[in-house]
Parts: sequence; structure tokens; C-alpha cells
Amino acid sequence: MKASVVTVVGATGTMGANVAGIFASFGNAKVYCVARDIEKVKKTIPRIVKSVRADSISKNLIPADFSMLEKCVSDSDIVFESAAENIEVKKDVHSKIAKALQPHAVACTGTSGLSITTLAECYPENLRSHFFGVHMFNPPYNMPLCEFTPTKYSDRELAEELKAYLKNKLFRTVVEVKDSPAFLGNRIGFQFINEALQYAEKYKDNGGIDYIDALLGSFTGRAMAPLVTSDFVGLDVHKAIVDNLYENTNDYAHETFILPDFVQKLVEEKKLGRKSGMGLYQTIRYDNGLKRNTVLDLNTGFYRDVIPYVFPFASKMKKFIKEGDYAKAFERLVNNRSQEAEICLSFLLKYIVYSLYATEEVGYTIEAADDVMATGFNWCPPLAMYQALSTVADVPALIRERLPEICGKVDIDKLLAYMKPSKYDYRLYFKSGR
Amino acid sequence: MSKVYVLGGAQTDFERNWKKEGKNMVALLKEVIADGLADAGITLDDVKALNKDNRVACFVGNFIAEKYTEQGHLGAFLTEVDPAFYGVPSARYEAACASSSVAIDAAQTKIMADEYDLAIVVGWELMKTVDSKLGGDFLGRAAYYKKEGEGIDLPFPKLFGKLADETLKKYPELDEKRYMDALARISVINYENAKRNPLAQTRKWFMSFEQASTRGTDTNPLVGGKLAVSDCSQVTDGAAVVVLCSEKFMKEHGIKNKPVIKGYGHRVAPMLFDKKMADNADSDYVLPWTRQTVLDAYKRSGLTVDDIDCFETHDCFTSSEYAAISSFGITAPGHEYEAIENGTIAFGGNKPINPSGGLIGCGHPVGASGARMFLDLYKQVTGKAGEYQIENVKNAMMLNIGGSATTNYVYIVGME
Repeated sequence: MKASVVTVVGATGTMGANVAGIFASFGNAKVYCVARDIEKVKKTIPRIVKSVRADSISKNLIPADFSMLEKCVSDSDIVFESAAENIEVKKDVHSKIAKALQPHAVACTGTSGLSITTLAECYPENLRSHFFGVHMFNPPYNMPLCEFTPTKYSDRELAEELKAYLKNKLFRTVVEVKDSPAFLGNRIGFQFINEALQYAEKYKDNGGIDYIDALLGSFTGRAMAPLVTSDFVGLDVHKAIVDNLYENTNDYAHETFILPDFVQKLVEEKKLGRKSGMGLYQTIRYDNGLKRNTVLDLNTGFYRDVIPYVFPFASKMKKFIKEGDYAKAFERLVNNRSQEAEICLSFLLKYIVYSLYATEEVGYTIEAADDVMATGFNWCPPLAMYQALSTVADVPALIRERLPEICGKVDIDKLLAYMKPSKYDYRLYFKSGR
Repeated sequence: MSKVYVLGGAQTDFERNWKKEGKNMVALLKEVIADGLADAGITLDDVKALNKDNRVACFVGNFIAEKYTEQGHLGAFLTEVDPAFYGVPSARYEAACASSSVAIDAAQTKIMADEYDLAIVVGWELMKTVDSKLGGDFLGRAAYYKKEGEGIDLPFPKLFGKLADETLKKYPELDEKRYMDALARISVINYENAKRNPLAQTRKWFMSFEQASTRGTDTNPLVGGKLAVSDCSQVTDGAAVVVLCSEKFMKEHGIKNKPVIKGYGHRVAPMLFDKKMADNADSDYVLPWTRQTVLDAYKRSGLTVDDIDCFETHDCFTSSEYAAISSFGITAPGHEYEAIENGTIAFGGNKPINPSGGLIGCGHPVGASGARMFLDLYKQVTGKAGEYQIENVKNAMMLNIGGSATTNYVYIVGME
């Protein structure tokens, strides 16, 4: 497979720019960076260079606008579309790419959830077999996950060649997934995050948003608390993902994909999170350099100071993790019967179960669940989480005890029958901090 | 005198930032010792049982935890890891970046002398506790601090930049561009090798010859004379454990097919860099004491460079790896660039250097580096290096240096 010239469409977007950087650096490809406004592309180039920390790639980055699209595509071995996450916009872009795509070339979409098959149908029959979903995570320099989706039209040999290129040349963790809404990583990750948002509403009298984040923080196997993550990726993006999943999938966790009303309201008010200055949280910066972290209080509708919650189970866990006593930390979690510890543990157990369930539906191997969560979210992946809790408990018994409702809906024994040891080390993910 | 066998060991993932994980040195030590003992097939109960008869000891290599983590008395500190270490003789050994090599030396000496049968060597350093400027000042204590470190921004890049200048001066027929390109290639090889090592600090990072050979840019600023960031190893947190044992221990436990330490060398060059350079006037080598250390190891082992199938060297900077090539005897002094240009030292080459990625690719938690290199020799000669395994390695050699090539340590590990 030739990959010396690449076109990235939508190169001024966060993902488009970062993906252009990956092709231009590891791939050492000449990359046409296409967007509506060429001046904006030129301004984006330094950001692309910075994303891979290498000035040497700037010669590989060639700014272009849509009027030059056909010419860029006709010169390219790979065309990567990273346009707005809207089916009509994407169809339009791919119809244009189809007109100029060379017979040997490959076309991909970076969509995080739209149907790859539908987009493949923008291509004439002879080129349809050259179309794939290539979904990277942000920022790809630190998050190597690449969800790879061939369609029923795809040329299998070409699929293998493209996978090998992504893996060996671009150093991606390639996970083949089915053409299913939101694919695998976001389905698992946003199931967790959206249910955490629902819990924020349910427990609003206990504090709501910061209350839930305080009991699912980095000491539970992740870099960032779940609702902070949602604020970070943008509530509009969050809404698009969970709405897509709610409308187009139907599994036992269906109800957990319903976007809470308060989030819907925030999206309508354009309070989208960090990128718009406020969302679930708001950081107020004063002229003297001091800052104040505030959070939306779901009872009053106003932002108030984040509460420094002290939960005995969490304090103990953090203390043990700080000294590398992981088993003692998990023991605390499993044996503490406070409301907070029970919510925390139930989320971790639900995460294991849903990961396995979704992977059976969307992935091809059980290890896919681990790869997507470790390399796309930087969360302790589910098989490693199972291993972590297994150091102190009989996890299947714990699941039956703590998640009776879910056990009534899914065959837990069957799901756990294929459990394998994780290749990821759970210790890295459990942090002692917030 | 007993032979000294290598039972196994472990290193931490050098990508990790322990401060960001909110973990302290106790956590670091607990993890690496648990992993190292498990790999060696030793349990804490074994340690307790051996300790009843005073047959086990611990040797800790660390450069300067007093500065980075406000903690001294590091030999005794292992008692915080597990009560199994209560009563076990244990002390800390220091020789700057060669600290854990001197710990290995103390361990092998006690075993050779039939004093102990099992030795647990732990090298570690947590360096991300402070910013790089302050950390650079701490590291200045590996040089003559009052004369070469105090008040100087990043003293070590400057010293190894001077080593690059001195190399060019020593070999006037060596073209400067050819030399600088050779250094860039050294960097690229180490980054490429690190991609195969799942515990390497830079395994996700991008480096290319063009990036490494274009020095003085925003993303590759000059840091010491002619050397840029791409020529340097980076600040790293990490630890490595190796477990050594006596012939008696092997026999008692019916253990077979473990490698032995075949030879070692230990020499100290003048502390001050300028004196070191003045001292090389009569030698063909820019670092004659480094070369002598290698010769000592060859002599002790009865081996020559022809017998060594892979090397781990101390590429704290590209200029130090360059000097190591002739010190190993891979080329004549002044001709090191040949082994770089013709692929001899590359992963698929005849004399591969740093299949692990070395200090530049794998990382350089200073007090851990000697033990990490030694562990990699063990992995290579036992076929346990996974994706970075070199084929058919019978003997492997390492060079670990402290300061500006002041303390020099060499080990040869191989199958009997």
C-alpha cells in the first residue's frame, strides 16, 4: 500500500489537525491540509507541528482549501475526512472525494459514530471497497487508539494492508470494530459518563455533579473524573454521542443513554464546558492570578464553589494507593458499606459488565475492550479492573450481589466465561489524588 | 570463590510519572520489588527463611534522593516495603548515574566471597518531583559542583556538549557535519528501538533523522554547545531490580540455565572534565579510562568484542554513546561514525547497541540505569526481551557511567 501523499479534509478542526500531524510525522507523508478557509489552515500549521513536537514536519504540511480538493485528492494515496460530525456534510464531502479518488487510493472517515456503510455508498462501486472507518482519539499523540471499521463492501486484503500501516508505521493501537453506533470505546466510556451524569441529578441533594465526581475520581482508575471529562470533551459532543446511542442501539443499558434535562439545557444555553468557559464546571480566574473552581448546583441553578468532600472510604483508598498498597485499597472499597462506597463500586462493576457486553456486540475479541479503554480513554481497562478487584474479592459473586437488576437482564456467567488476564497493569491507573 | 548467577528482575514502566499518580517512593519500591522477586522465582517467605541464616542481603543504588525526595538512609528504607526485610543487611551505594552498578558490584562481591547466597539489587530515582531546572542543578552534584555545577543552567548538557567539541578536536580528520549527523543517527536508533520496548519512556514519541539533525529549532533547542534536546536522555522516574545468587543457591534449589556474570570493569577518571581531557593527551581514545574499563572486563571474562552479541550503553547524551563505540572495540578510535553509518550498531546490525532504547529511548532514572541495563543483558541472553530481542545472544555487555564519564562500570553477562 502506497502512503506517501495524504489529504486530510477538515484540517482546522481539533481531530483533523492532530491526525494530519500523525500522518506527517510517523507516516512521513506529504499531507494536504484542506479546510474551507486557507488562511485558517495556515494558522493551524504551527499547532499541528506542536502537536507532535517536531518542526521538521512542517515541510510535509501543505495548506489547501475546498477549491483545491479535487486536485489534492487526485494526487493522494490516502484521503482522510475529518469534517463536521453531520451525515449530510460528510456525504457531501465524500461525494466530492469520490470524483477524484485514484483507483489505487484509500479513503477513510474519522467519524466518531456515523454509519461507515452509508458513507461508503457515496463512492462508485469500484471505489467502495477502498473505504474504511479510521477513528482516532484525542489527542492521538498521547492516545494511540485507532478504531478500524471495514464495511461489507471492503477489500479484505486492502483492509489488512491499511491496518498494518496504521499499526507499524503510525504506531496506532488498531482495534477492528463493527459498524455500530459510536463504535466501541465511546459506547463503553459514555455509558459510564452519562450514567454518572444521571446520578448527579439523582443525588443532587448530596451535592450533585461534584459529589459524583468526588467518588469516581482518579483513585478509581482514571486520569480525570467522569464529569470533568464530559466538560472537557464538550457537552455538545457528549450529547451527540449519547443521543446517537440512545436512538440507534437497544441493549440492557438503554436507559443509561438518556441525556439528563439539565445537560440538555446547558447545551441549549451554549454552556458547553471548558471550550465555552462554563458548563458543568466553571473556573473563575481573577486578575491577581488566583482561580476559583465552581460547579453548577443542580438545586439552585447557580455555580458555587466545588466542595472538598471527605468520604472515609475514598480517603483510605487514596492513602493506600499512595504507598502502593493496592489490595488494601480495594479491600476498603469492597468492604465499606457507606452509600458513597456502594455507588463507587457499583459503577466499577457495571463498567466491567457493560464493557464485556458491548465488546461482544461491537468487537471481535475480548481484548478489544481493554485496548479501547486503556489507549483511548486512559482508564483502567475492564479486564485489568476485574483483575484488580479479584485481588480481594470473588468478582462474579460481587457482581451478583451488587448488580441484581443487571444480572436479571444479562447472562453474567456466559459473559465472564471468556475472561482473560489483562496485558495492562492496573496499578498505573489507580492514582492517589482527587 | 562462587560464580554469580542472575535469577531475574524487573523494571517499572519508565513512562510513568509517580508524582502525577500521587505515589511516593514506598509505592515505587513495593511495585518493583514485588515484580523483580516474582520474575526471579523468589518469595518474601524465601527471603525470611534465608535471613534466619544471614544468607540474603539487599543493595540499593540511588544517586540523590536527599535532594529529589528529601530522604536518605535508603538501604534501611526497604524495611518500609515489607516486614520480610526486617533484619536483612541492606545499604545504599552511590556513584552518580552509575549508582546501581556499584550496588551490583557490592552484591556480586559478597556472593563471590561466599558471604551471602542471595542478593537483591534495587536501583531507583524519582526525578519528576521537581522542575527540570532545579533537577538539572541537583544533577550538577555528579560533577565537581562548586567548579562545574553551581550557578550553571543545566550543567550536564554543557559538559557532554564539551565532550562533542573535544571529540572533534581529538580527531581533526573527522568532518563536523559527519560527526553531528552520526550523533543524530544515534538518537534516531535509540528512539526507534524504544518503540519495541513496552516499558520505554519515549515509546509513543516521534523522532526522525531530520528532526534530530536540525538543531536549534523551537522543538529541538540547543541545550549544551552543539547538542540539542534530541541528543539528550530525558528526566525519568523509575526503578529496576536484579536478583543475583550463588552456585550453592542454584544447586540447593535445582535451578538451571541461568546466566552468570562473566566479567566486570570499574575505573574512575579525573573528576573535573578539563582534567579528564588533559589526561587523554597520550591516548588514542577521548575517554581512555572508559576504554580501560572495557578492557578489564574483557580480560576478566576471557572474551573479546567478537564474543559480544549485543550491548547496552550509557547514552545520557549522543556524544557519550559515540565514544562508547570505540571503547567497546567495535571500531578503532576516531572511526566510530563508520559503525553508525554502515548499520553495525542498529537493531538488525552485527553489534547492536541499546536494543532497549537506551537512556535516550528507554529513559534515565539516574540511580536505576545501571540495574536497568544489567536487567536488559539478562533478558537478551535468556531470550526474554520480547519484541526487542536480538537473535542468538550468548554474551551481552553494558557500560554505565557516572558524572562526565568519571565513574565507569562494565559488566558482561552470558550463558555458561
